[in-house]
Amino acid sequence: MPEGKFCNKKPIDTAEGINELLSDTSGNNYYQEMKELDIDSDLLWKTIQNTCKSRTKTWLEICAHCGMCAESCFLYQVNGRDPKQVPAYKIQSTLGEIIKRKGKVDNQFMRDTMETAWSKCTCCNRCGTYCPHGIDTGIMFSYLRGLLYQQGFVPWELKIGAGMHRVYRAQMDVTDEDFVDTFEWMVEEYEDDYPGLTVPVDVENADIMYTVNAREVKHYPEDLAEAAILFHMAGENWTVPSKGWEQTSLAMFAGDWAACKMQVESVYEAMERLKPARMIGTECGHAHRATVIEGPYWAGRKNGQPPAESIHYVEWLAEALNTGKLKIDPSKRIKELVTLQDSCNYIRNHGLKKATRDIIKHIVEPGYFVEMSPNKEHNYCCGGGGGFNGIGLFRKQRNIALLTKRDQILATGAKLVLAPCHNCWDAIRDLEEEYEIGIRWSFLKPIVIKMLVIPEHLKPEE
Amino acid sequence: MHDLLTGLFFWIALGVFLIGVLARLIMYFRGLSWQLDRVAYTSHPGAGFKGAVRSIYKWLIPFGTYGWRTQPFITIVFFGFHIGAVLIPLFLLGHNLFLQEKLGISFFTLNPCFADILTWTVVISAFFLILRRLVLPEVRIMTTLYDYFILGVAIAPFVTGLFARYQVGDYSFWLNMHIFCGEILLIAIPFTKLSHVFLFFASRAQLGMDFGIKRGGMKGTKMAW
Amino acid sequence: MFKKILFATSATQASDHAARVAFNIAKNYQSSLNIFHVMGVPTRGYSQVVIDVKTKEEVAVDEDYTAWVTEEVRTYYEKHLDGSFEHTIDVAVGFPAREILRQAKTIKPDLILIGGSTGDEDESVYKKNSAGSTLQKVAKAAKCPVLVVNRPAASFWGGLSNIVFGTDFSKTSDKAFDFAMKVAKALDCEVNVFHAIDITPLHTGKILTQDEIEQQIRESLRKIRARYEPRLKELKAYSMDVAEGIPYMEIVKYARDNMADLIIMAHHSRKVVSDDTRLGGNVEQVIVRAGCPVISINK
Ligand code: HEM
Ligand code: SF4
Ligand code: SF4
Ligand code: SF4
Repeated sequence: MPEGKFCNKKPIDTAEGINELLSDTSGNNYYQEMKELDIDSDLLWKTIQNTCKSRTKTWLEICAHCGMCAESCFLYQVNGRDPKQVPAYKIQSTLGEIIKRKGKVDNQFMRDTMETAWSKCTCCNRCGTYCPHGIDTGIMFSYLRGLLYQQGFVPWELKIGAGMHRVYRAQMDVTDEDFVDTFEWMVEEYEDDYPGLTVPVDVENADIMYTVNAREVKHYPEDLAEAAILFHMAGENWTVPSKGWEQTSLAMFAGDWAACKMQVESVYEAMERLKPARMIGTECGHAHRATVIEGPYWAGRKNGQPPAESIHYVEWLAEALNTGKLKIDPSKRIKELVTLQDSCNYIRNHGLKKATRDIIKHIVEPGYFVEMSPNKEHNYCCGGGGGFNGIGLFRKQRNIALLTKRDQILATGAKLVLAPCHNCWDAIRDLEEEYEIGIRWSFLKPIVIKMLVIPEHLKPEE
Repeated sequence: MHDLLTGLFFWIALGVFLIGVLARLIMYFRGLSWQLDRVAYTSHPGAGFKGAVRSIYKWLIPFGTYGWRTQPFITIVFFGFHIGAVLIPLFLLGHNLFLQEKLGISFFTLNPCFADILTWTVVISAFFLILRRLVLPEVRIMTTLYDYFILGVAIAPFVTGLFARYQVGDYSFWLNMHIFCGEILLIAIPFTKLSHVFLFFASRAQLGMDFGIKRGGMKGTKMAW
Repeated sequence: MFKKILFATSATQASDHAARVAFNIAKNYQSSLNIFHVMGVPTRGYSQVVIDVKTKEEVAVDEDYTAWVTEEVRTYYEKHLDGSFEHTIDVAVGFPAREILRQAKTIKPDLILIGGSTGDEDESVYKKNSAGSTLQKVAKAAKCPVLVVNRPAASFWGGLSNIVFGTDFSKTSDKAFDFAMKVAKALDCEVNVFHAIDITPLHTGKILTQDEIEQQIRESLRKIRARYEPRLKELKAYSMDVAEGIPYMEIVKYARDNMADLIIMAHHSRKVVSDDTRLGGNVEQVIVRAGCPVISINK
């Protein structure tokens, strides 16, 4: 059977398609069919010839097989230093082989490669900073995922996730109406406590256009209210687009480059339509990477920049605290040991380490902040990056991967972990569920709101 | 024989080496694609240049990066091997005399005693490089015969050079072998993994530009290599 | 009156006492009852997997599973669903408080009926994600009255005849009073207006002398009269009382002594106070302790 009913090379472009795939519980049939899926070797090889250029080719060629990257990969460390987890080995034995064999690989090979690409690498890019040749295996893995996606070898959840972006321009089945509706509902719920709280939708030329993660709309809409409250307290002139509000991209994890482009273009269109001075995204790591760091390239923007200056939530928060737009009541600062999860996606891959530490200075009583070790751009992945968190098939491997972060957190002695990244937040929650080390974790918004000095004119009556 | 090796063969080797290196470098940089690599190289040349330079020079300093510092053993072996591997061919007295005669140029020359030490360091380090490949599972799993072959090609000129230097057996045989191996090495550089001799700079520059332009450089954060 | 009731339930024993009240009201007042069950809390990032609130196991939610859970809920309440009132059953995935509020936003009920703290164990799945119990969050944000049945004792309930309305003279309390009046008129009940003066030193900042206390009691009574009596006169029976002590204790005691079958109070706390209901505001304390159902009103 070349193309299965559930598992095939066709991307999902309709709501019905998504529902059909969803109806295959846990992807049981999907993975069954995958065992029969044919490989289009010609297409594979042609794609490689068109897209694998000097950077990647050189990386694969000059790799000294020296193993210096081994120790840098948390998955190598945490899996008993299994040599099969050495970054260079992982990529040479997959992408390297496909190229060596000019795309003539069999089904078993592709399924093994899928397992490596999604369960042995979170695309955290840490190894790239430890290789003397500057070989970034994480980048090659995301390239490899693209090849696998094209051939239909992609974990079930991510095929669905990419489909969601194609259909809804959001990672979940949240429509534009749902978004605006939910945001308004949330603001209504909180406006008694914060008089004047509003959600300005589609306002042109605002200072800030705010974008979110669809999961906030679907499951934790309080986050939307919190964002509104903080903008309101800071006296910002902000807006949300009624279309193009979703910043995340499961398509990026899936390797569905076409969907990545569609998704990010929807946000850029909103920027072009509303012409905000700046775009600010919510506390999410991969969303920032997708929309701000990689997005411009998918959309073909030659200068590598989104249409409007785009910053991460932590940059805005740091700025608001530093300039006094938001004021913290020092007596309410965190007075317990607390640590911080550095998200690879915007710390290692966008250099925002200072912003988060500025925030810490405002909200944590001096002496109570403990850095993880290592930290900043050398921090380890939370264990759930690159889509790992959501893939049922690789749940076991994911749970092992969490051990690194567990031990890092335990070593700090802190019971509170600040995690300004949805994915990291999830992984840390899961690690508590799995290993019960007695920690709490939080985004920054709720913590900051609790310690805010509310300006007189914004206080509720009574 | 000697004449042939220092004459025609030398010119061929040098020519192949220089043209090969140049051609490959050009191919490398022409093959960079802002969109595929997702780095806006040409839009931000300044940021890219700064990132590239940092990325290269940090890694040329022994223990200059987190990578080097976390693995002191390989770092010592690596620099033990490479300092000699780069300095000896260019700055050995004998080589300079030869270059002077052939090309009319000569560089500064190394103290002969120091040069001896360096050469021995190269060979001993190479021994450890091989040992590492045999002993450490994380290196063994990736090691292919090709890796040993490359190592062999790389140290052959040094080993034969030492035989000649200490006049073990027939001096002129070892000298000819040395010259021959050196020329093989020169020819091998553009076509094998030894291309890293120059592609190292290209690859590091590329990643440096990535960090300098896209991954934080333009946010004012220098990558803490 | 209670035409449409949203009954949020875990469909386990923990909700049984609330269920008893829900079915009772529905039967007596011909309400249409929407039985709403949040079956699972999302887990695993963006995936379709949820933790089933009953079994605590990870399950993949699909149509079959949803249908199955709906059927389970129906079976659980089978003997009560005897056709004497209209009912619908809905199940959802998400964090319970949020989903209950979302459901309320959609169906716009006259009353949300919810079981109180269902015991630590049951809350554990929910708690993981944010501070505050389901109850606190729903009571804080709901746009309609929220009726809470916390203790089993509160559910042995014959009908409505005697309402205690606890006031603190706030605007929200006025709204609660409006609601109490509405219920009383519709169902022909007696309303007992009650105010408790907080004499805990934590609140007053000092220990009050007996004279000061009695002074305050007189003032409060005057206030109650001025504020509520004109309208109370519309009823057949009413009373007005003031007592001093720890407010929530006094209200609970007062309700017990007067054999009240419903307490109505305003909900104030701006913020969800903490993870622990025991530390919540006055209403929450009353809810936890009262021997009858409590209705909290917030808007
Ligand atoms: C400036 C010039 C050079 C630079 C920057 C450079 C850089 C590197 C780097 C980064 C590695 C991989 C890291 C490692 O093995 O630890 C390496 C490996 C190697 N280099 Fe070079 N290299 C240079 C010149 C040379 C030359 C001239 C030779 C040969 C004579 C050479 C022979 C080798 C060999 C054989 C290896 C593999 C080592 C192993 O087996 O692990 N390199 N070089
Ligand atoms: S450190 Fe770099 S050169 Fe060495 S094995 Fe890893 S990827 Fe290859
Ligand atoms: S990118 Fe991260 S997870 Fe992937 S191989 Fe490198 S260090 Fe390991
Ligand atoms: S989830 Fe967070 S820590 Fe993990 S890879 Fe993504 S950004 Fe990094």
